[in-house]
Amino acid sequence: MTLHTYDAIIIGGGHNGLINAAYLARAGKKVIVLERRPIVGGAAVTEEIFPGFHFTEFSYVVSLLRPEIIRELELPRHGLKILPLPSTFTPMENGDYLAAWDDHDLTRRELYRHSPKDAEAYDEYARVMVRMAMAVKPLISLVPPDPSSLSIRDLMGLLKVGEYAASLSQKDLYQLAKLVTQSSADLLDEWFETDALKGTKSASGIIGTFLGPRSPGTAYVLLHHYMGEIDGAFRAWGFAKNGSGGVTASIASAARALGVKIRTQSPVKQVTVKNGRAVGVALENGDEFHAKVVVSAADPKRTFLQFVEPKYFPDEFVTQIRNFRTRGSSGKLNIALSELPNFTALPGDGPLHRGAISISPSIDYIERAYDDAKYGQVSRRPYIDMIIPSMIDPDMAPPGQHVMSCFVQYVPYDVEGGWTDEKKDQFAEHVIATIEQYAPNFRRAIIGKQVITPVDIERIAGITGGNIFHGELLLHQLFFLRPAPQWADFRTPLPGYYLAASGAHPGGGVMGAAGKLAAMEILKDWK
Amino acid sequence: MLRTTPFHERTSTLCLAQNWRRWAGCIVAGSYDLTLDREYWAIRNAAALIDVSPLMKYIITGRDAARLLNRITTRNIDKLAVGQVYYTGWCDEDGKMLDDGTVSRLDETTYRLTSADPSLRWLSMNAVSLEVDITEVTHSVAALSLQGPRSRVVLNGCCESPVDGLKYFRLMKNSIYGIPVTISRTGYTGDLGYEIWMDAGSALTVWDALMDAGHDHGIAPTGILPMDIARVEAGLFMIEVDYTAATHAIIEAQKSSPFELGLDWTVNLDKPGYFVGRRALEREAREGPAWKMVGLEVDWNPMERLFRQVGLPPQLPAAPLRASQPVFSGGVQVGYASTSAWSPVLKKFIALAHIQRPYYELGTDLRLEVTVEHHRQHTAAKVVKTPFYEPEWKKK
Amino acid sequence: MPNYDIIIVGAGHNGLTAAATLAKAGKRVLVLEKRPVVGGACVGDGNAPGFAPFLGGMLRPDIIRTLGLERYGLQPAPAKAAFTSLLPGSDTLTLDPDATQAAESIRRFSEKDAARWPDFVAFMGKAAAFLDASYRTIIPPLPKFDLTEGIPLAQLGLKLRGMGRRDMLNIIRALPMTAQELTEEWFESDVVRAAVASLGIHGVTLGVMSAGTGFNLIHNWLNRGGMAQPNPGHTGEIASALAQAAKALGVEIRTSAEVTRIRVERETVRGVTLASGEEISAPVVLSNADPKRTLLGLVGAPELPPTFVWQSRNIKMRGSVAKLRITLATPAANLIRLSAPQSAPASATFVIAPSLRYLEKAYDTAKYGQVSENPYLEITVPTANTLDVHFQFAPYSLKQSTWDLERETLHQLTLDTLSEYIPTLHASRITIHSLTPLDLEQTYGLTEGDLNHGQIMLDQFFFMRPIPGCADHTTPIDGLYLCGSGVHAGGGVSGASGRNAARKVLKG
Repeated sequence: MTLHTYDAIIIGGGHNGLINAAYLARAGKKVIVLERRPIVGGAAVTEEIFPGFHFTEFSYVVSLLRPEIIRELELPRHGLKILPLPSTFTPMENGDYLAAWDDHDLTRRELYRHSPKDAEAYDEYARVMVRMAMAVKPLISLVPPDPSSLSIRDLMGLLKVGEYAASLSQKDLYQLAKLVTQSSADLLDEWFETDALKGTKSASGIIGTFLGPRSPGTAYVLLHHYMGEIDGAFRAWGFAKNGSGGVTASIASAARALGVKIRTQSPVKQVTVKNGRAVGVALENGDEFHAKVVVSAADPKRTFLQFVEPKYFPDEFVTQIRNFRTRGSSGKLNIALSELPNFTALPGDGPLHRGAISISPSIDYIERAYDDAKYGQVSRRPYIDMIIPSMIDPDMAPPGQHVMSCFVQYVPYDVEGGWTDEKKDQFAEHVIATIEQYAPNFRRAIIGKQVITPVDIERIAGITGGNIFHGELLLHQLFFLRPAPQWADFRTPLPGYYLAASGAHPGGGVMGAAGKLAAMEILKDWK
Repeated sequence: MLRTTPFHERTSTLCLAQNWRRWAGCIVAGSYDLTLDREYWAIRNAAALIDVSPLMKYIITGRDAARLLNRITTRNIDKLAVGQVYYTGWCDEDGKMLDDGTVSRLDETTYRLTSADPSLRWLSMNAVSLEVDITEVTHSVAALSLQGPRSRVVLNGCCESPVDGLKYFRLMKNSIYGIPVTISRTGYTGDLGYEIWMDAGSALTVWDALMDAGHDHGIAPTGILPMDIARVEAGLFMIEVDYTAATHAIIEAQKSSPFELGLDWTVNLDKPGYFVGRRALEREAREGPAWKMVGLEVDWNPMERLFRQVGLPPQLPAAPLRASQPVFSGGVQVGYASTSAWSPVLKKFIALAHIQRPYYELGTDLRLEVTVEHHRQHTAAKVVKTPFYEPEWKKK
Repeated sequence: MPNYDIIIVGAGHNGLTAAATLAKAGKRVLVLEKRPVVGGACVGDGNAPGFAPFLGGMLRPDIIRTLGLERYGLQPAPAKAAFTSLLPGSDTLTLDPDATQAAESIRRFSEKDAARWPDFVAFMGKAAAFLDASYRTIIPPLPKFDLTEGIPLAQLGLKLRGMGRRDMLNIIRALPMTAQELTEEWFESDVVRAAVASLGIHGVTLGVMSAGTGFNLIHNWLNRGGMAQPNPGHTGEIASALAQAAKALGVEIRTSAEVTRIRVERETVRGVTLASGEEISAPVVLSNADPKRTLLGLVGAPELPPTFVWQSRNIKMRGSVAKLRITLATPAANLIRLSAPQSAPASATFVIAPSLRYLEKAYDTAKYGQVSENPYLEITVPTANTLDVHFQFAPYSLKQSTWDLERETLHQLTLDTLSEYIPTLHASRITIHSLTPLDLEQTYGLTEGDLNHGQIMLDQFFFMRPIPGCADHTTPIDGLYLCGSGVHAGGGVSGASGRNAARKVLKG
């Protein structure tokens, strides 16, 4: 048993943990990151699953990494390159396709082919969403005030939110309120008539949730996809050089350069509590670390129910964390390909392979995929979002061959009868059969595949329930209610213990914001 | 692939400059020559043939066609006679400009609307519960603009019936080499000119006929950049350059009302029935606009002096400048020029500028920012009447 | 011809409430009703006595008191009844209004749930009280409103804060939740969860797994004063009491007087035109018709701003409720008691909602335009030999059929489902009279058969009901107000919207 002393200990070397560590180190603190796995990166790691084929195992796009973090931590100096994913291609059930290209006029012409009205509505819709993203941005970079509290800090915070709401135009305020409460299906039905367009757009509203596109509240998630647009740093969709692992590698490198110590293969057993304060952690191997501050970048359930004995928290808080919804709903298929999939709707190699390929022919299609999942089945015809990273970054696969990442929803964590090898095969088969329907050469092009279910995400990345956002983006789990009422400011009922991951405000999908905001709060408390 | 126009087969072989510009998702020739001079002077002195096919075009027909256009535009469409054309702007509910274009009454219940932006959605949104059919004909109808003092002669040389009797902002049915066309006496140059509307399939025949008929009258295929000079001289503004469509504006300050754009004469507040933006426009008519778009004429000698001080002759832009240039009064910014241009015919530097009340009154002395050898300077300019240039034959 | 200050289009309970309130303030009010009877969806079509689209309901007590409706036989607090969930195998769960008794029944399914029931009832009471307070508040156009409009809003905020930290946060959290999530947090027994969650989907085209059904659960709890339907089979009496009170206050009510147009000039209301061609003028018109019908039908899209027309067209109506009156040969209560001996004798509301999954599956078909094969049913026993059934889901827009063809299917599905839980039913049936969503539209003028004049959903709630900017009963037409269920405070039978609309008119 050895004893180490630091200013701050970060549990978990995912991107939020690393960002949190980097900001604390930047403020002069002595920081250590303890990572359970042999590599850092959490859910954003790149691994060579088959010789020569590199995969971003879990997450796959970095649309939302906060640009201020890229600037402030000087990530490009540490190797970060975000390459554009220029298009979205949706093959349709009738043999046609719908594409959004990287040029406005080209996209307009393509949409016009399906519906002249939609081509016009699309522009207006995009402008509204950008305006809404601008409206929401100040809220996202705010520590949510607790409306029930009477503390000066919370009252000032509330005042700020109130002033801010009053500064919005009536139109924007209403649009925002509707956006937060609507279903993505209803929102899109108001604007568009083309099924494939609505299907593809609605898909971004369900990612990471266990809801169908017809459930209210899903429209808000759509908005997250416009956040990148207003920052001007890059387009909404990007793919990091060397995959998402490239992002975390650059953050880790930046953190190290700031003096952060990163220890891998160091699973934390428990947070040490003394006199009602978190004072350190004990590893599973018995090593102990002492620090003024302990930060968890794990999900709320692990953070509060596993690392700390419940007796240190009020009963109500424990109940609230138990009730926190973390149902994993998505899986992945990582595939090594001998050749590119050839889509019958648009044959040959083309620009479509450099962008996202979405199996989302209609809202009903996705809703039916959800119907399977809510009763514990893997969607027979799932929503699939494919990208072929080797088309963007040639280092990802041997020359002439490709890696393909298929994000699949819905893949329930609680599959009926539990996850077995047969179930996994069945899941893979559903995905392959679905893609094959649109690209007949797909099946024979497969030379290797890795199947990842929510249970695998839980096992490998350590996220409870395998929910990619550490907790579903539901209305009652957002803003001042995330992860629990009164505890949305990254602090916890245990003094000295903080939460700095997607399970805190503003939630997953806004990459790195929780890590940074938490660091700012920790530094405020520093005495 | 971007779209090409029905004249592409001809224009692409003529376009020496390979100076292609985007216009509403199409590519069209910016200029055919490497310089703009010859094409500009064709507009002002002979006949210029301009491909304007990318204009958005809609056929609106049915019992409520006039009601729809009355509801959308600010003009009283009930007064538009068959064979007449109105220029008009249209607004959102806050009385802010969405677009501008022309309405032509083709027969008792059929109208053609042209616009810069796609408008099908807006038309449909306004047509709820109206008995009206809206058909977009942007791609099926080709359009040529024949502009210049010789344009009438050229048309008479190839049209079945002479166009002599066709008055300003009127249209007629005609035929060119057996191809049925509609000819309107309209344009975007402030000169004598016509626009010829035809089925896209017959576009090349009409082009060839006009080129033949114009051969002895100095006809020149002309790009949209020389036309841009002419339209500034004519005091005509351009969407997304001189004003921002309310739907495209991100903030309120970017929007303009028709009064601000000097379109008072197109706003008919007394027409019957609801029309979009009436309440806001009534308010503005009472209170007067806070801004106005006006013509600015730069006082030449002081500007020349500014250049001479650094040892240069005046540097003049070959094509209109679309960069915003601040306008001052007594050292305080009171507006900005959205387009400025050297007028080859007037030998003057002119600008379309947005000026705050009360500085927009005719004759007000203002100062325009100009960049002289990388340094920003102010030079004297005066609010003048537009059009800057109006030949006597324009409306005759 | 008399001069009226105010014309009210439609004599539903909200229209009558508004009329009486305005007359009481000295206004000359004319109410125009298309049907030969007053009362809207509180009154039947004459084919089955006492059978109306609203199987039960009650007005807000303050309306009863203010308008002196006790004089016409209405009680501010109607007798509370039990709510029984009929389960397979003749089992039942009875949620008695008496919490101790309810706990007794719950105990058979879960000790824990029985222990939590009183807390749940207390929480729901507070949540409903908060909603009631919000339903008393006329929501001004946000975010720019003047001081007089802002004060009630601030009071509402203070009321919420005054509930205490924990209750306040829990109520805020509950609104956007799914009924499933809400009930799962309170209860472990699926039977108890489903019985309670059924109120979350009652009247809306949503499933227990749809976000915002937590709000609808609280809304229904408030309107009913608990789980069971108040005054089952007696909603007609609410209408007649209101009509009598209105007349006594000087309101003129004309029946069989269908308004076909609300006349507008330059965005200002001028009066109405009747089907007979008669024109009646007034400076103020209140419409008790649903917002879609009022704006797009009676005013007409050409008179309205295009964006507003777009918003009006996007109001979600989506009726998916059918109502059935089954007349039996034998007393209904006996039948039920025979089949479900555990049910409390005083049970007035029965429900077929055996599990959360059952309820969600019933909704699944509605999403794709089909009638639920295993529907969620709510049954009341208005008289000894009759059963009134609320059937969900029977979507207005059928994908592959029409309501003319599906009426028999609806009857059959109802009987099949009921017979599973009340096996003796089949033998004793005599007649069925039904109202499909299409009937509700055609007879009662409810667009898409939506009884609530617009779905009770999060994005059609508070300042967004029916359209942002119109939650204070105003419209873009000067002098035209909405006073029906489609506005904030509306939904179900309560009179709250009519009351608020009258207040707004009197202030303005």
